[in-house]
Amino acid sequence: MEIVSQVLLVIGGLFFLLGGLGVLRMPDVFNRIQAGTKATTLGAFALLLGIGFMYPTWFLKVGIIIVFIAISNPIGSSVLAKASYKAQGAPSNVVQDDLKEFLGGTEDVG
Amino acid sequence: MKNFLALLAALGLGVLIILSLQNNTLFNEYGEDVTGRDSEEYGDREYGEENPASGPANIVTSIVADFRSFDTLGEITVLFVSSLGVALLLGGTKQKRLDLGFHPNFMLRIGSKALFGIILMTGVYVTIHGHLTPGGGFPGGAMIASSMLLLYLADDTFRAKIKGFKILESVAGSLYVLIGIAGLFFADYFLENFLNNGVVGDLLSAGIIPLIYVLIGLKVGSEISGVIDNFLTEEVV
Repeated sequence: MEIVSQVLLVIGGLFFLLGGLGVLRMPDVFNRIQAGTKATTLGAFALLLGIGFMYPTWFLKVGIIIVFIAISNPIGSSVLAKASYKAQGAPSNVVQDDLKEFLGGTEDVG
Repeated sequence: MKNFLALLAALGLGVLIILSLQNNTLFNEYGEDVTGRDSEEYGDREYGEENPASGPANIVTSIVADFRSFDTLGEITVLFVSSLGVALLLGGTKQKRLDLGFHPNFMLRIGSKALFGIILMTGVYVTIHGHLTPGGGFPGGAMIASSMLLLYLADDTFRAKIKGFKILESVAGSLYVLIGIAGLFFADYFLENFLNNGVVGDLLSAGIIPLIYVLIGLKVGSEISGVIDNFLTEEVV
């Protein structure tokens, strides 16, 4: 149990490190959002599960936090991405812009 | 060089503060040395039977909602007056939502309702465990209000039934004062803890403190929700 939790903690820390590196090094907003969100979601899951394995009585609370992160993180990042698309459009080096075709030129991106 | 000087100044200030804190001699009104007397009495208070505040496991709560409950009543009043001022400035008889300039997509609309439940549950948990764990009525009430803020920000057509908040707020505030007057009747002074203290660590312990904290949580939550509603609506002209 101890070893499982320690391995999970190390994995979580590693994913947080990679997420931070991605936010620092990626070229444009959308890449940064996806690096930050995906890496830190998995990192937070691993960290919380590690804590849950270390103190099994906390498992219910840890589960609630995991559900919260699983809902809030994707929604927040998708809203951020849409807001940034609305503000400045797609990055200049994008070859095909499917979202523009999908919206059909309407203003209502939301 | 500039940074170095700033660091030196900060270090000097820190050393000065620490040195001045180390021998603070306090005197009472008769000129006697009372250093460390009052605060140590609060800190080392033992949970004995003759102690009027023996129930709460949390020493901060026993000070905030028992020893200095009258002070807390004043803080509640300050909050009430500030929300009243916001309502006077921004409220009106007929109101509609401000246009936020975006329409939420499906995911945001559904997801914010799911998150609302979790945040509200956390706020209620913090509120009703105020006498056992860190937290209490004020942070719990702020969490309850933040769940309302999420609903308001995520959907530009959402409008809470604000009249219910106003009623809840008034009832909670009046009940707080009524509990205080009940202390006058059943015990000696205003807001005295007159209920059974129970076992330290139980959810139903500490006499009137959990009751007062639940009332504070409801009042703070509904008040801040009312302020949020006032800020995000405008009067129909």
